Amino acid sequence: MTNEAIIELKNIDVTFHNKGQTVNAVKDVSLTVNRGDIYGVVGYSGAGKSTLVRVINRLQPPTAGTVVVNGQDILHLTPRKLRAARTKIGMIFQHFNLMDARTIADNVGYPLRFRLSKKNRQEKVAHLLDLVGLSEKANDYPAQLSGGQKQRVAIARALANDPEILISDEATSALDPKTTSSILELLKRLNKELGLTVVLITHEMEAVKEICNKVAVMESGEIIERGDLVSIFSQPKKPLTQDFINTATQINQALEKIYKQASALNLSDHQQLVQLQYVGASTDAPLITELYKRYDVVSNILYGNVEILQDTPLGNLIVVMSGEPDKLQDAWQYCQDAGIKITHLKPTDSEVA
Amino acid sequence: MSWFAKYFPNAVTMKSDFIQATGETLYMTLITAVVAGILGMIIGVGLIVTQPGGILENRIIYNIFDKIVNLCRSIPFVILLAVIAPLTRLIVGTAIGTTAAIVPLVIGSAPFYARQIQNALAEVDHGVIEAAESVGSGPMGIIFRVYLKEGLADIIRSSVLTLISLIDLTAMAGAIGGGGLGNLAINVGYSRFETDVTVLAMLIILVIVFAIQLVGDLLARRVDHTA
Repeated sequence: MTNEAIIELKNIDVTFHNKGQTVNAVKDVSLTVNRGDIYGVVGYSGAGKSTLVRVINRLQPPTAGTVVVNGQDILHLTPRKLRAARTKIGMIFQHFNLMDARTIADNVGYPLRFRLSKKNRQEKVAHLLDLVGLSEKANDYPAQLSGGQKQRVAIARALANDPEILISDEATSALDPKTTSSILELLKRLNKELGLTVVLITHEMEAVKEICNKVAVMESGEIIERGDLVSIFSQPKKPLTQDFINTATQINQALEKIYKQASALNLSDHQQLVQLQYVGASTDAPLITELYKRYDVVSNILYGNVEILQDTPLGNLIVVMSGEPDKLQDAWQYCQDAGIKITHLKPTDSEVA
Repeated sequence: MSWFAKYFPNAVTMKSDFIQATGETLYMTLITAVVAGILGMIIGVGLIVTQPGGILENRIIYNIFDKIVNLCRSIPFVILLAVIAPLTRLIVGTAIGTTAAIVPLVIGSAPFYARQIQNALAEVDHGVIEAAESVGSGPMGIIFRVYLKEGLADIIRSSVLTLISLIDLTAMAGAIGGGGLGNLAINVGYSRFETDVTVLAMLIILVIVFAIQLVGDLLARRVDHTA
């Protein structure tokens, strides 16, 4: 990953007028994607993420703002030059958008007609199908393929022009979890092997978590929070971001169950329900044992989860700590000194940090 | 063939008339199909690409095409035949005869075909158009390599429908001076109370219609890979 910007969106506004109603789909958004990034844009439906990324290849012309891709001002290109620029920006879609009347090989070769000789085209198509692992389906039609296979064909087609950027617009949203993982793995591999810059639009933080190195969170047409993956996951600031992350790490679901049990737990004054969050190296220390040895504090783990994000472990524990009140204070201080974030939970809370 | 002579006593003596009339009907149908086919295709594609949200959105051109199609389709064909007789005379030199019938037939069927083409192409998924745009296809590439290719099965089905309705129109044009099987059925069979002539003319038309339907269905099935 370099620091060379490949996509620069500045102050993008997209406004739709529909029957006297004005919709500000994207409001004054700036976004810079560097070469080699896998940049996730997360948000619920209607947040404006698809509209925003469609601005990158001008499928959606913005109402205001500037778009520079690969040093080219996309908004001031002639139609011919725009089409040439688009060949360097591949795109895949939620519903695959394959051509039903063409075979798989024909679909992949579609962008290459008039650009390569027949022989070179066939070789390239064979190579692309091999890359996405679908060589044996070359002469089938899209209707004969599963969703995951169709998306692989769409990826091969998007790569036919040797693009430097791949925009994935909810490409895994119509797929089951296992297929989603395999498609995400493929995108990651293409990023590594071809140096492909990927912009990944999704409403699933799980997808972002698996492959992205940077994230932007969108809500009502604005980017409300952005940063590298680990810092967003370890220190989310906006409630929406926290919500996405808690869903992805399944803490929300866990807490719901714990709260239901909480009355049964019957916590006394000497017991506290806390959430411990830790990033990186602090995951290595045998924390629970340390707390017992040093402060006589017993920790009962109700829920634990460790995510490995960009090779950095990110841990979440929900524990009941039992001990003398002053010892508990010391124990928490010890945790904080060790770089562990402590959140005191009360069974009546509905939200967690 | 004795049963034929028994049931078609008048028709059996008119072999050459039937051959000529069938030829005329096929001639009118074929020439009109080619001319109206090209015209209708151009207008239909024009409607699709210039419609709001189309790849070459153009409100003015769309409205012109749209109004012409609606206007032509609103005029009953029998009246159209009479109304455009001066135009026919201008183009063909006469308003009577098989060739003269082609002018009203084209005007009567091209707008219908244009609407059919528009409907067929409207079925092409907008996402596929977007995908083609995203790999750098221009308007011509999208028309010829996406719309006409992806819509082909529906275009064939629409063409069959149009051809069949065209044969219907040739019979009507024939009855008022255009020749062909319609002329035979009405001006000979009906007027002279030779019912068997009318029935035979009808049967021949039915055979032509079934043949077109059969071939069209086969072709459409061959190019349709959606299921």
